[in-house]
Amino acid sequence: MADKVLSDKFYATMKKLEPRYPSKLALLLPALHAAQDEIGWLSSGVMDEVAEYIEIHPAQVREVATFYSMYNFKPVGKYHIKVCTNVSCTLRGAERLLEHCEKKLGIKVAETTPDKKFTIHEEECLGACGTAPAMMINEDYHENLDVQKLDRILDELE
Amino acid sequence: MPTCVIDGREVEFVPGQNLIEVAKKVGIEIPYYCYHPGLSVVAQCRMCSVEIENVPKLQPACATLPKSGMVVKTRSPRAVQNQKAVSEYLLINHPLDCPICDKSGECDLQDYSFEYGDPHTRMTEERRTYVDLDMGPVIVKNMNRCIHCTRCIRFGTEVAGIHEMVATQRGNWTEISTIDGRPLETDYAGNYADICPTGSLLLKDFRFKRRVWFLKKTPTTCEACARGCNMEIHQDGNVIYRCVPRENLEVNKYWLCDEGRFNFHYIHDTDRVVSPMVRVNGKLEIANWARAIETARETMNAKKPAILVGSDLTQQEALLLRDEFLPGKFPGAPFFHFGTPEIISGADDGPADKILKRKSRTANLHGLEKLGYSGFEKLPAGTDAVLIIRGGRAVLPELKLSKIVGIGVFKRNEVENFAAVLPGVTFAEKDGTVVNFQGREQTFRRAIAPPDGCKGLPEILMTWINHKGSVR
Amino acid sequence: MSEQEQPPEQPSGDSQPETLFIQHFCEEARPLSYYLKNMSGYSALKKALGMSTDEVINEVKKAHIRGRGGAGFPAGVKWSLIPKESAKAKYFICNADESEPGTFKDRDLMRYTPHLVLEGMAIGAYAIGAHVGYIYIRGEYVGEAGILQAAILEAEKAGYLGKNIMGTGFDFEITIHRGAGAYICGEETALLNSLEGRRGEPRVKPPYPAIAGAFGGPTVVNNVETLAGVPFVLNRGGDWYAKLGRITNSGGTRIYEVSGHVKKPGLYELESGSVTVRQLIYDYCHGILEDKKLKAVIPGGSSAPVLRADEIDVVADIDPMLKIGSMLGSAGMIVVSEDYCLVRLLARIVRFYAHESCGQCTPCREGTKWAQDILDRIESGRGHPQDLGLILQIADNMNAKSLCALADAAAGPIISFVTKFRADFEAHIRGGKCPHA
Repeated sequence: MADKVLSDKFYATMKKLEPRYPSKLALLLPALHAAQDEIGWLSSGVMDEVAEYIEIHPAQVREVATFYSMYNFKPVGKYHIKVCTNVSCTLRGAERLLEHCEKKLGIKVAETTPDKKFTIHEEECLGACGTAPAMMINEDYHENLDVQKLDRILDELE
Repeated sequence: MPTCVIDGREVEFVPGQNLIEVAKKVGIEIPYYCYHPGLSVVAQCRMCSVEIENVPKLQPACATLPKSGMVVKTRSPRAVQNQKAVSEYLLINHPLDCPICDKSGECDLQDYSFEYGDPHTRMTEERRTYVDLDMGPVIVKNMNRCIHCTRCIRFGTEVAGIHEMVATQRGNWTEISTIDGRPLETDYAGNYADICPTGSLLLKDFRFKRRVWFLKKTPTTCEACARGCNMEIHQDGNVIYRCVPRENLEVNKYWLCDEGRFNFHYIHDTDRVVSPMVRVNGKLEIANWARAIETARETMNAKKPAILVGSDLTQQEALLLRDEFLPGKFPGAPFFHFGTPEIISGADDGPADKILKRKSRTANLHGLEKLGYSGFEKLPAGTDAVLIIRGGRAVLPELKLSKIVGIGVFKRNEVENFAAVLPGVTFAEKDGTVVNFQGREQTFRRAIAPPDGCKGLPEILMTWINHKGSVR
Repeated sequence: MSEQEQPPEQPSGDSQPETLFIQHFCEEARPLSYYLKNMSGYSALKKALGMSTDEVINEVKKAHIRGRGGAGFPAGVKWSLIPKESAKAKYFICNADESEPGTFKDRDLMRYTPHLVLEGMAIGAYAIGAHVGYIYIRGEYVGEAGILQAAILEAEKAGYLGKNIMGTGFDFEITIHRGAGAYICGEETALLNSLEGRRGEPRVKPPYPAIAGAFGGPTVVNNVETLAGVPFVLNRGGDWYAKLGRITNSGGTRIYEVSGHVKKPGLYELESGSVTVRQLIYDYCHGILEDKKLKAVIPGGSSAPVLRADEIDVVADIDPMLKIGSMLGSAGMIVVSEDYCLVRLLARIVRFYAHESCGQCTPCREGTKWAQDILDRIESGRGHPQDLGLILQIADNMNAKSLCALADAAAGPIISFVTKFRADFEAHIRGGKCPHA
């Protein structure tokens, strides 16, 4: 049996959620979110541990987790930058913004800076079309962006 | 019975049957990939879409239950266009592997593309490819050939009961396999190759061995346990290449376990005894039939013989023994059926898993019980010679005797301490009846000729009876 | 080309259209105290709990609330499909998976007026006999999920949610369930699968969610904006709500979202059917950015067939848009000026659908990616003359032939862009490069 990686807090949170669903399987997405919030990404070991908790086959966790784009299967930088390049944001300059971001940080989309501080990804519509172009950094939205604002935001991140 | 109209013909239907099944009954083929009568309906492949009067969109026939008066067109221009479209979509990423793919000749994709698809391709983009990991000893995976019908996924969860075959990623990048190169755990892995409509999941055991159009097929029954799953033996040139399940909703539905599926290998094993043998100076050596019979009779001319009859034999063989041979040659001698350790009687038999397997590892335990044979527990005290008659499955008990004669199918390493061996025929080399745990009579059918040196049981017993020698 | 409908006459003396939501879109509106003072304050729920469930459903039916998620199915009818008796527990679900490109109204409803959504859910749950509710909210709306969670706790503490609501004996507990990045989970049955802990793949229908939805029980799934209107219906009457809309069978106000090349992008709440696309763009959004020429409008989220500049005199409501071969969908208008290459835009749209396709069915899984590859090739100047005919056929072979409407959502833009702006595509192919580059 592999050693447990997830914290007691994870298990306590899940325990509190259990009575809210008629089946344990329904806890899978919340569990994956909680595990990723704790560790930053989902390794095979972590997913197997979640499988054990939900009492399902490890393959079942894998099939669900890999379906959704928010789950990371590789470590990401301290700041996970997700630039929306969908229709409205593209119309308002997202492509230039993304290019600038890549140049500024010296990495391409899907890569992480060597100091592990930043990872860049393209993102689909974030629901901030009226304030386009927009991006997420970790859990926060940043809207009404232009190159200068982007520079300021990134420079201020420790 | 209510009726509907399919392609202009009035067709009766049983409520609850889908359109594919109803059409099949009157000889109308509706092509499909993801549908399988033994699995849940998902209506994903979209190949079976048909046109229904007064319904604006095409409907998947697998998910449509006919209503009284429904008018269905399976080959309307729209339905035909859809069949062409789906066929085109399935082929744009499918490698042209037919020349090297085992499935060729029995491949749904090949057959339906030929019948319903367009012969020209318009795809000039780069094709999608995957890297395959191993999936264990039974199945070899070729994901490039997969058409994402998901039959295998549903089989794993719904029939095999293990959620090990899964789809990962999504959209065009969806991959279907076990995770991390883990081997398939199920004992029913062979069925994956049966249900896969392309050459994406194939049997390692059969790989590259024979083109399927050369195989001659014989319907028969599996001998691996007391369920007697219905099966087909596929052979060419008297060599069995594979066994596949035959549909029987009362016995095995559409499936075979791996033990039953691959059981046949022992028939061609180089270790099988295919000539009469006698022990000379402590070693077994090949003899002719006359000498072997003579030795057998001599050995069994003992004070307290006992006879063990394998429950892998047929009813006909067991009757011949019970009514002719044993009363004639061994009157009063104790005789038992044997087959699976710890399974002494029919009452000891039971399910060995939640799917098909039975605890009795021979096919005719219940048949022999019906004929009045008792189960073997141990030799009566003072037994000095044992005659063992068995097919290929009955597990030999340990016998600390020097006088043992074997009639039937044996491996060389099983008979080292036998006095004589008279080689017989396997379940694939004879016709016969066996009775399964449901009391159902089913048949073994002869699919191949036995090796030259082997004889059927009636012939062996007759030779024994008629042998003119000094002993009985 | 079908005729354009003219918007009905504005009632005279009426300078400001009635709005229900937008005036509350500020941080101050969030807490329960504000909701009690300036909005329904759960009075609609109180009223509903004193009515029979049939009466509640009838009121909502009278209101003609068309589903605001994009499908436009009448909410009252949806509620009435739930069987009265059920061996399995019933569920009331709010679809907050807002992911249609060009759509951003539910976000503001949730973060500024969360209690409206909660109250709407509670009324709906009472009407159908459900005691368990879920808000399936897209995973990226982290802040909004937190706000809704806080609002639920506020409401429970004050007795407006949870056990024995306002002493009436009615229980209703809401749980927030976050998605994880999949547009397809906005589809009703895919949402149910995702809620149950599975891949977000749409299901075969029948059975319909009203009979067997979440966890096998009768289920209603309603959009955020749809639910936000429900307290108003109860408090001011279904007839009043219906009359707000200018077109029959389409009641209430609608939050239009305008984005892209306009001077004032954002949310505009107007009475349903009271405005044309032209009026939205030029009167409310003050026209095109830098006063450029309008090239195209995608009127209902990226799934809606595109409109040319000469087609925007259509009334922005469900039936008028259908009549001209497009759709209102989520009312997310994306405006494109002559500045941006339409070929590149279509390629990006189709890339979205290929990325979001769940992969279950053949036409969508293969067609969206094939179309994406061809469009990328055309955009980069490597197109062939036969590509246009091919891509139209690919779209036609996807359309109305799959398990769900995602393939249709990809086919619609392909067919409308290539048909209406064929010259742009031909220029790419002939010229061997993008004329805009």
